[in-house]
Amino acid sequence: MSVPAAGARAAAGRSRVGAAMPRAGSTARGALPFAVLVVAWAAVHRAGILPPIFLPGPGDVARVAWEMALDGSLAANIGASLGRLLVGIVVSVPVAIALGIVVALDRRLARVLEPIAGFFNALSGIAWLPLAVTWFGLGWTSVTFIMANTIFFLVFFNTLVGVRTVPRIFEQAVRTLGGRRRHVILQVMLPGALPSIVTGIRMSIGFGWRALIAAEMIATSTGLGFLIFNASNFHQTDAILAGIITIGVLWLLTDRLVLQPLERWTVERWGLVTS
Amino acid sequence: MTRLETAATWAVLLAALLGAWSVAAATLPVPDYVLPSPAAVVASLGDLVVKGILPTYVAESLRRIVTAGLVALVVGVPAGLLLGTSRRVADFAYPILNFFQSVSGIAWLPLMLVWFGMGERTIVVAVNYTVLFPVIFNALLGVRSVPRIYVNALRTLGASRLRIVTDVMLPGALPSIATGLRLGLAYGWRALIAAEMLVGAHGLGFMIFSAQAFHLTARIMLGMAVIGALWLVLDYFVLRPIEQATITRWGLVQR
Amino acid sequence: MRLLRHRTGAFLAAVALLWAGWEAYLALSAPRRLDPALAGALAPGARLDVAVTLGFAPEDFHIRLFQGHGVVSGVRGTTVMLDRVAADDVRRIARYYWVRRVAPRGGAS
Repeated sequence: MSVPAAGARAAAGRSRVGAAMPRAGSTARGALPFAVLVVAWAAVHRAGILPPIFLPGPGDVARVAWEMALDGSLAANIGASLGRLLVGIVVSVPVAIALGIVVALDRRLARVLEPIAGFFNALSGIAWLPLAVTWFGLGWTSVTFIMANTIFFLVFFNTLVGVRTVPRIFEQAVRTLGGRRRHVILQVMLPGALPSIVTGIRMSIGFGWRALIAAEMIATSTGLGFLIFNASNFHQTDAILAGIITIGVLWLLTDRLVLQPLERWTVERWGLVTS
Repeated sequence: MTRLETAATWAVLLAALLGAWSVAAATLPVPDYVLPSPAAVVASLGDLVVKGILPTYVAESLRRIVTAGLVALVVGVPAGLLLGTSRRVADFAYPILNFFQSVSGIAWLPLMLVWFGMGERTIVVAVNYTVLFPVIFNALLGVRSVPRIYVNALRTLGASRLRIVTDVMLPGALPSIATGLRLGLAYGWRALIAAEMLVGAHGLGFMIFSAQAFHLTARIMLGMAVIGALWLVLDYFVLRPIEQATITRWGLVQR
Repeated sequence: MRLLRHRTGAFLAAVALLWAGWEAYLALSAPRRLDPALAGALAPGARLDVAVTLGFAPEDFHIRLFQGHGVVSGVRGTTVMLDRVAADDVRRIARYYWVRRVAPRGGAS
């Protein structure tokens, strides 16, 4: 269906384009554009096109980042955000996959629940914040809840769709050979739905990370989102930029080092074509 | 399974859900505002429409996201195509675009607050940014993924550079662009809600956020439902069909 | 492309039609909301004091909205008192479908 297809296509686009794009290994090649960007940034700052309060230079940002690293606040905030992300993933992903498979085993139930899951999927993320704050108050519970349910619904939906689109003939073949439900699940459903599930995981973490940062701005007092929002109240644009860069780098690292290899390892290992 | 069976299962499920919800709302030992009944949520729909609040906020949010989408197309597609035509430029731009796409517009919001203050412009910049980068990025990817042989074929027939762009690059990139637009708007819609909560310049995000301060939980739930429903409508009627159509018509089989 | 024609085209056409129809309704129904006593006073450049009657007690939303049209000087039940409202703004206020009546108040302009 749509979301897994789009995600799969985007993911396939990334790996398909891997032939035309610099590979992950050529880090020097990858770093050059950023070096140029930083130089351009420094030049713009030096030229004084914008007042320094609006656009601090790379040096200022690096200095602030260093200070934050030294006094531990950077590590604390990174830890808070990543910790919440980890909790959200660990809690949501297995439950979502398990639930998705259980529901999808009954095809009739899957057909009915799919639009509902789609709806909650469309609803996911920061829209839950006022409700979460009503229920849990301000603080890490609300923030983690929002992110966890973002991840949950997307993975659940993708699992449903993934299992549903496994051709029935595989299931029937396993049953003909005397396989029980356990075999059907492990040897047909799970591998068949895997591309959809893994794409779902990858996308949901993307959405979840964004929801987390936004929620941290509004509803809590630790974490990277809070860091940059708080800095804006004091017009500390250098701290804001340091935080923004940290957020971007963290996501890129997560995607490159964890999610893409996961996708490559699971999907390509089973020789499955995504799109 | 027949249509009738599906509809019947739906009806039963819905009734069961609403029933359980109503019972829970009536019997749980929590203050009223924690779990409003379904009836209260529906009542708040009527209330908000009669008072003109919901249509105004919906119109504002829609206006912002639609303009962001249009801006992303008008600016992002040419930019992505341009960056993608030259291999060296594309290689250079790829990591930068990837990075900027990863940093959602919401993360830039604090900076925008310093630059533009609490107002419409802050929201507009943040949301437009969020939608723009996936479009540029995917346009670039789309162009890069067009097999060289098509370009060369047109070159041998003596086509000008512009012709190559319009006849080969653009159509070849369209499926990717459609996907990028869909993804960008998905991110953008959520970023919009978050921005409206933070900046308070009206909109659905502001509506549910301010409702929380007054414990108007029925309004929160209604607002959430509207947010989800609007995205579903946009996705089902506009974004997905366009994506499907571009793939069907111009989707290239990759080796 | 055919899929496009069916679903997206129909949807966008429906949206456009509904929107046009709604705007027409607003434009046509606005004069009914203006109290006849206002008729003469709506000269360009005039600034009036008006009483805007709603069908319900105004909320924060409505007060803030009206502040964009004039100075809110008071709320009495379902009526909001607005001062120094320009003629154009009076017409804009009358366009809101949730406004019942816009009437002049005894006040200098």
